[in-house]
Amino acid sequence: MKKHTWLKVMASTVTVVLAALVMAGCGNSNSSSSSSKGSSTTDNKKVEITFWHGMNGPYQKAINSIIADFNKSQSKYVVKGTAQGNYTALQQKIMAAAKSRNLPTISQTTYTTVPDYSKSNLIEPLDNYMLQGSDKLSSSDLKDIYPAFLKSSKYEGKYYSIPFSKSTRILYYNQAILDKYGIAKPKTWDDIVAAGNKLKADGIYGMGFDRSWDMEFEGLARQAGNPLIAPGTLKVNLDTADTLEAANLIQNMVKNKIAKTAGADNYFTQGFIQGKAAFYAGSSAGVTQMVAQAPKTLKWGTMPLPSYKGKKATEIAGNDIVMFKSASADQKKGAWQFMKFLLSSKETAKWAMATGYVPLRKSAMDDTDFKQYLKDKPYNQAAVDSLDDGFQSTAFLGFSEYRNDLLEAVDQMITKNADPKATLTKLQATTENIIKTNKQ
Amino acid sequence: MLNEKPTVKSTIKGWLYLLPMLVITITFNIYPIIKSFLMSFYTKYDFYNDIVSAYGFSNFTYLWNDPDFHLAVRNTLVFVIGVVPLNIIISLAIALLLNKIKFLAGAFRTIYFLPFVTSTVAIAQVWNWIYHSDYGLLNYLLGLVGVNPINWLNDPKWAMPALIIMSIWKGLGFNIVLFLVGLNNINTRYYQAAEIDGANAWRQFTNVTLPLLSPITFLVTVNGVIGSFKVFDEIFALFQGSSGPSKSALTIVYYLYEKFYTEWKYGIAAASGVVLFFLILFVTLIQLWYSRKHVHY
Repeated sequence: MKKHTWLKVMASTVTVVLAALVMAGCGNSNSSSSSSKGSSTTDNKKVEITFWHGMNGPYQKAINSIIADFNKSQSKYVVKGTAQGNYTALQQKIMAAAKSRNLPTISQTTYTTVPDYSKSNLIEPLDNYMLQGSDKLSSSDLKDIYPAFLKSSKYEGKYYSIPFSKSTRILYYNQAILDKYGIAKPKTWDDIVAAGNKLKADGIYGMGFDRSWDMEFEGLARQAGNPLIAPGTLKVNLDTADTLEAANLIQNMVKNKIAKTAGADNYFTQGFIQGKAAFYAGSSAGVTQMVAQAPKTLKWGTMPLPSYKGKKATEIAGNDIVMFKSASADQKKGAWQFMKFLLSSKETAKWAMATGYVPLRKSAMDDTDFKQYLKDKPYNQAAVDSLDDGFQSTAFLGFSEYRNDLLEAVDQMITKNADPKATLTKLQATTENIIKTNKQ
Repeated sequence: MLNEKPTVKSTIKGWLYLLPMLVITITFNIYPIIKSFLMSFYTKYDFYNDIVSAYGFSNFTYLWNDPDFHLAVRNTLVFVIGVVPLNIIISLAIALLLNKIKFLAGAFRTIYFLPFVTSTVAIAQVWNWIYHSDYGLLNYLLGLVGVNPINWLNDPKWAMPALIIMSIWKGLGFNIVLFLVGLNNINTRYYQAAEIDGANAWRQFTNVTLPLLSPITFLVTVNGVIGSFKVFDEIFALFQGSSGPSKSALTIVYYLYEKFYTEWKYGIAAASGVVLFFLILFVTLIQLWYSRKHVHY
């Protein structure tokens, strides 16, 4: 009798534990599909397209409304969007999902991951959908999309991504400081240095940078005539005289107390609001934060970054959307329709208005709503005006490793006051080595 | 019942009791450890399709030659040496004080324990503000005693001390509770005997409290050393997803994270994990050897 009891207890314990393990396992494998909203019973006949993204808060709201629009616009497909946390978390989840063969149909990611993803055979080239078939983009469509976006979507002659959440680097200015010291809006970087020299005596910086000023650095190098990594040939230009001059310019500005980096604040937004600098080179996506945090009394505005050596260039940052190979043919077809929908003039204007990201095509500027939006929120004009001079850095195999090294070098030039020449010479060698080893 | 001889049935019974924990440990601890040992020898590895085309020691030679890894090892050792001894001394002192006062002792225990149960990210946010170079609380307090503001989080020289201070503070609560348990377990008769022998408070502490507390001190030390070797989330949160200015707070686990998640060098990441494993094993063995002589049970 007694023995029977403990046998029963043991047996039931083991069953419970095993059941729990099995359920945990199932829960994991299903989480990608079951966590997205909507009942599957009503969508039985529709093809489900899963879409992972890294948008939170107001951005997530905006994306959900666009997804809802798409689902209403046709009856064949249903897109289910899932927020995966921030970009870093999203990247890690893609990695884990690729390993466990649980990838969504499409996902947001930076275009710089495309070389590595395509090498690992994870993503689908879009040429078959984008340039051929009944749903292709017409040549006028292709001309309408800003060339910088199309360029970065292309890798080794094929399109692998569509641009999505994009922002540019712009210049914020504090009108009160400009008025008080009689400073005009800068046309060149020399003007900013001059303004900084004027303001120095009163403890105000001319320019504020984010913690990492790699984008301004790359922009200046580009304006001086050389991309840090040449597209196509992948020639590394990190130790050229032009690049060195760009690094020196920014380091000297900081050394001479004409400029300040945000350091632990990450973004210079707070410093700018407190009137610590007349200008701030930041992301156009930061406008949302600026509006939210700046007191009403602060008079500020935005403009495109000034020219350097007679040229203009502004780095475009942000994310693209890629399609994974693991999806079914039907899913891929539907995914492309959704991508095309996102690229349409009307939707991209709507997306831009809701989020502060830039519209992806020129015709969006003719949209009456968008025109009104720019009139109501003039601080969003600068990003749009910068687009024609926009560029994106060259993507290649091993980019994320190179980017780590670039950020480290840029950081050392400020926090350790490292000599730009030595730092960049070392970076040149490391980068050349990364490119070489990845070619093998 | 206690003297029951092992039979087939009782052995099965024993295993059944062990089974739930064994299944969990093997799946989530043992298997990954074996896998990462193997992975550290993969020199050509297709991660997504799990195809290994070459094995070798090159991941370890890479670590041997990588200045970043040397920096990571150095920083980790500095962190361990900076955190563990101070943490033990301070938490022992607080535990002794708490043990003396009976009034509100529970409330104080709770207060000291709070940092331990609060999420690291939330703590780091608060410390981010405390350390702020312009309007941080710490610089304000230092200013009152005439110390110039320190750029805690942006100066490579101060980033590690900042990290150590926060980690000590965060780890106090847990150790205090352990020490309190240890102090309560010491029979008061020892103190009475010492008093009769004429020992003053200090002699009582060194001759009664410390020796009888040694098992707890040993536990706290081993625990603290292992935990500190594995430090990661404090860094990630305090320096907002970076390893501090000019990599001044790059530790071995942060190095591993970077290699794995941002640089996709899986073999090297696994190899650095193996190095960390043996480093911890080595230090723990030394502690065990030392404890044989100096810990009184």
